[in-house]
Amino acid sequence: MADFLTAYSIQNWLESCPQGYLMGTVYGHRPEDEEPAPLLENEVLREEAIRTTVQLVVGERCALAASSGLINAAPDEASKRFLATQTLDEARHVEIFTQRLLDLGVPKKDLESTIQHFANPNLVKFAEVLLEKVDKKDFVAGVVGQNIVLEGMAFSVFEMLHAVSEPTNPKFARMLSGTIADERRHVGFGENRIGSLIKQYPERKADVEKLQKEMSYWMLATFADAFRNNPARAEFKRIEGELSRAGVHAEWQGVDLLTKDPEEMEQILADTVLKEFKTRLSRIGIEYQTPDRP
Amino acid sequence: MTDPLQQESTTAKDLELESRPRQRFELEDTGFDEVPPRFRKFYRRWRGPGDQLAPNEVICPVCKVVIRSTRELRPGDRVYCMPCMSRLIVVRGEDGRLEARVAY
Ligand SMILES: [Fe+2]
Ligand SMILES: [Fe+2]
Ligand SMILES: [Zn+2]
Repeated sequence: MADFLTAYSIQNWLESCPQGYLMGTVYGHRPEDEEPAPLLENEVLREEAIRTTVQLVVGERCALAASSGLINAAPDEASKRFLATQTLDEARHVEIFTQRLLDLGVPKKDLESTIQHFANPNLVKFAEVLLEKVDKKDFVAGVVGQNIVLEGMAFSVFEMLHAVSEPTNPKFARMLSGTIADERRHVGFGENRIGSLIKQYPERKADVEKLQKEMSYWMLATFADAFRNNPARAEFKRIEGELSRAGVHAEWQGVDLLTKDPEEMEQILADTVLKEFKTRLSRIGIEYQTPDRP
Repeated sequence: MTDPLQQESTTAKDLELESRPRQRFELEDTGFDEVPPRFRKFYRRWRGPGDQLAPNEVICPVCKVVIRSTRELRPGDRVYCMPCMSRLIVVRGEDGRLEARVAY
């Protein structure tokens, strides 16, 4: 165990991240890239981009609170140091997505009220369930909740957003690919560290399974609001159709997202994330609990 | 040691396979920038379900990056995924293709 943790060092983080894929970026993107004009000029799309970005800020603020809180709950030095690098990653994610809100035209003075206004209540619940464990210094539940459930979800959400943004918004796509690269380390730590801890503390399984079920429910409810109940779905469909006819494709999980209805996209995302939870949890010896469907 | 293939399998069930020399592969940089430059050719992004893997490639089940070795991979091999820092063991999956399992 101690052996694998040596790779999660600050030195390693410096070489691969700030001195690697983030080199030369400004708020996570190339200095010359901007939000595309067709997005800034279309009020419905701009508001939708703000709404989506607010959810990213909410999720990343939760990850920042969780990763920093878990440092003092970690039972070993190497985990503490890894979580310190993760804390900086999460703070960076909060910062770049907050900067995107400004780039999308949110006035600085309205930043907090905009976040409050658009924050999805189900996502807020999702975060509360996790942070309660962190506050209790429950390391096992905290790492499963953060590095497997929260980040497992974030990983797929970012990938899906990246697939749609790659052909339409290179600035946002670059921000996302840097974030995905960070997430790889976080999910790697979660699985590797908890895989050995669960073996050590099998009595913690039931609690962790309950946590996963609860967080998954709030996640599905958040997805439902983002797709099915989205006020901009008609405009989305129109733009998707336009892009599709112009020969633009957004491949993810073997489907072209631009040809799909919001309901279908929600289904693909939810299925992908839940399937991932199931395989990730079973690898570390935890039985996946099917959440209720909102 | 820079190749992700860290230890070749030597288990008895692979003896027949092992009697045939492993294919060698020339690796090129694939634009994967998530690891320091000297390691970049050993990884590439996975393009989703339709993405065909070569005999020297295996997907990391943890972070979904394709790991590439200069040598053909075989069941029992130990490989390392640098982007997520997982240690993996190559196995033959139900569909006959090579898969990686995490070694905790
Ligand atoms: Fe994050
Ligand atoms: Fe993260
Ligand atoms: Zn990996």
